[in-house]
Amino acid sequence: MNVPRTMDLFAPADAPASLPARSAPQTLVRPVAPREAPRRSTAPSGVPLWLGVHVPALAAQTAVDASRILQSLATRAQRFTPRISLAPPDGLLLEVRSSLHLFGGVEGLRRAMAGECAQLSQTATLAFAPTPLAALAGARAGRPFEVLDTAQLTGSLAPLPIAALRWPEELIGRLACLGVRTIGQALRLPRAGFAQRFGAARLADLDRLTGRADDPRERFEAPVRFRRRRELPCESASHALLTAALRPLLDELGRFLAARQCGVLALEYRLWHRHAAPTCCVLRLGTPLADAAQLAQLLEERLRTLALPEPARACELRAGLPVPRVVQSSGLWQPGERGGLAAASGVDLIERLRARLGPEALEALALVPDHRPESAWRVVKPEACLASEAGTPHRPSLGAGHPARASGVGAHRFAVRPLWLLPQPRLLRQRDGLPRWRGALRLEGEPERIETGWWDGRDIARDYYNARDMHGRRLWLFREREPPHRWFLQGLELLNLSDTP
Amino acid sequence: MAVDLPRHGAAPSRSSHPDPRLERLLAHPALWRAGSAARVPVWPSGFAPLDEALPGGGWPRSGLIEILPARWGQGELRLMLPALAAITSRSEARWCVWVAPPLQPFAPALAGAGMALTRLLIARAPPHARRAAALWAIEQALGSGACDSVLAWAKDAPARQIRRLQLAAQRGNALGVLFRPRESAREASPAMLRVALEPRRGGVRVTLLKSRGGARGALDLRWEDHERT
Repeated sequence: MNVPRTMDLFAPADAPASLPARSAPQTLVRPVAPREAPRRSTAPSGVPLWLGVHVPALAAQTAVDASRILQSLATRAQRFTPRISLAPPDGLLLEVRSSLHLFGGVEGLRRAMAGECAQLSQTATLAFAPTPLAALAGARAGRPFEVLDTAQLTGSLAPLPIAALRWPEELIGRLACLGVRTIGQALRLPRAGFAQRFGAARLADLDRLTGRADDPRERFEAPVRFRRRRELPCESASHALLTAALRPLLDELGRFLAARQCGVLALEYRLWHRHAAPTCCVLRLGTPLADAAQLAQLLEERLRTLALPEPARACELRAGLPVPRVVQSSGLWQPGERGGLAAASGVDLIERLRARLGPEALEALALVPDHRPESAWRVVKPEACLASEAGTPHRPSLGAGHPARASGVGAHRFAVRPLWLLPQPRLLRQRDGLPRWRGALRLEGEPERIETGWWDGRDIARDYYNARDMHGRRLWLFREREPPHRWFLQGLELLNLSDTP
Repeated sequence: MAVDLPRHGAAPSRSSHPDPRLERLLAHPALWRAGSAARVPVWPSGFAPLDEALPGGGWPRSGLIEILPARWGQGELRLMLPALAAITSRSEARWCVWVAPPLQPFAPALAGAGMALTRLLIARAPPHARRAAALWAIEQALGSGACDSVLAWAKDAPARQIRRLQLAAQRGNALGVLFRPRESAREASPAMLRVALEPRRGGVRVTLLKSRGGARGALDLRWEDHERT
């Protein structure tokens, strides 16, 4: 325990000689370690804990490749914590104090992070320490290094080789000449002399290492939009291969969105050909989605109907701007079961049907308070139904709920109305002033007069009749009140609304 | 009312035996009798005579049924309407999907009959590849678990496809109603129930062509039977 005392003796306490120069950092991860922290026996929750990740294989890669791998590793690591800093070329820092509990402590986090590295086919050494530099040095040293408490930091750092600090070779050589080969030996040197001989910047490094000085780190910000391109192993027009190529891209997108707690509303899958212009397959969604499996299902439906001009050689997945998405808690019951709500899988079904049938293929109906049959209803988007579903349990019949429902039906309350409406009233032939449609029609009951509509320019003046054709079908006809008194067929399958409960 | 309906297939709960001990034995839940093999969960059809004739006492909750009118518009939708109204108006109702309806459903009449329009979803098949797309949509809707009922209008559907629909309906715990022309009654079908319709004055004649675990035969329904109750 004489190491800290030596440091205290020579302490020019506030001596972070200089902060490392940075190119306009936008966000800084500022450790909030209080100066007294080393003297506390137990680690308070306010002290940060850094997970240092060292990927040795990256040193051998080209700078571009290494930075790409590091970025994707950082993106994956965003599921552990939002406070991530890159330590190029081969290091990554995660502040994980508040994530420890969720991911099962140090061991759980270590396993999970190693798993993420393995997914990228990289092996990494991991170390935990209260300061970022110590975490990195521990990881680079390649030995098991787990220091949760600032009080034990200096002691645990002591046996690490000085090379783990990544100081210049020449400097390490000079230190070696002095017999200084470990960090502990370096810490034991007198501060003033150390600064004079090796530079104030090196002393500041040591201060940051032990937590005497703050070590602000630039926060890693992943790109805003998701965009990935992938070369296909061979030129192909096979649906199976194109779908298979899509899966890893979508998995990556799923993680990208999960880290942001966002969803996407639009996706574009682009296929590049040798000669022809790229083929685009655009998927538009009604609600933000983030689940890779769901997106894959929808996109595969679209792909199935896509015609390719020639085999594709590369594919690219571009996502629209991430949209904040409220993650709904899933119910205890499955949708098929008693008590299970259909809301979640209902949306799923809508998206899936739309993906194959087209964006306009799904419709829902709503009532409009109007007495004219053509204006008494309108087509709405199915999402409108979902919105109303979220509220109180709806009442089916007249009365509460949709205001339009009550008044809309009210206008037709004591009448005979058809269940089916023809898209356009069909002009009927006449014989002796009576309508005919594939044979003679028999008119039944009293006519009902429906007229006016001057306010929106669709003025009508009609007398509606119930009729029965030779096949026993009940039809809804009308006769124009104005000459030439033409007959039209407008509906089928009559229902007596006044009788229904 | 029932014209020539054989009565031997009625549900055991309605039959009464003179011996109370036998009655008690027969009421045991582990006991299945041949005539009532289909003890399936059902939706009441809304027509009491029809409920008596249908296996289990109504339309099956999960499974595919076929309705074969001689011509479109002879009351096939009206026959389903009381059940649809009851299904869609529950608070935990799932979707009621109509795939490729031949005409425009008239919303005020549906709402007037008690259907909750907020549960109704209409899927239109694109003009090209209409049949394939419609069959796909029916299968998706039936199997999704998000639908209580799926109504579909299919002119020609091969038996193999209908078998897939039947399996999807059981998977998604949904009632699939396939409206097909009368001529398709000649083909075999794996549907649980096949019902032919002929219009009658003030009602419809329902012929049960196939009824898994139930009786076959014809009966006349009057619309007022439902409307009065």
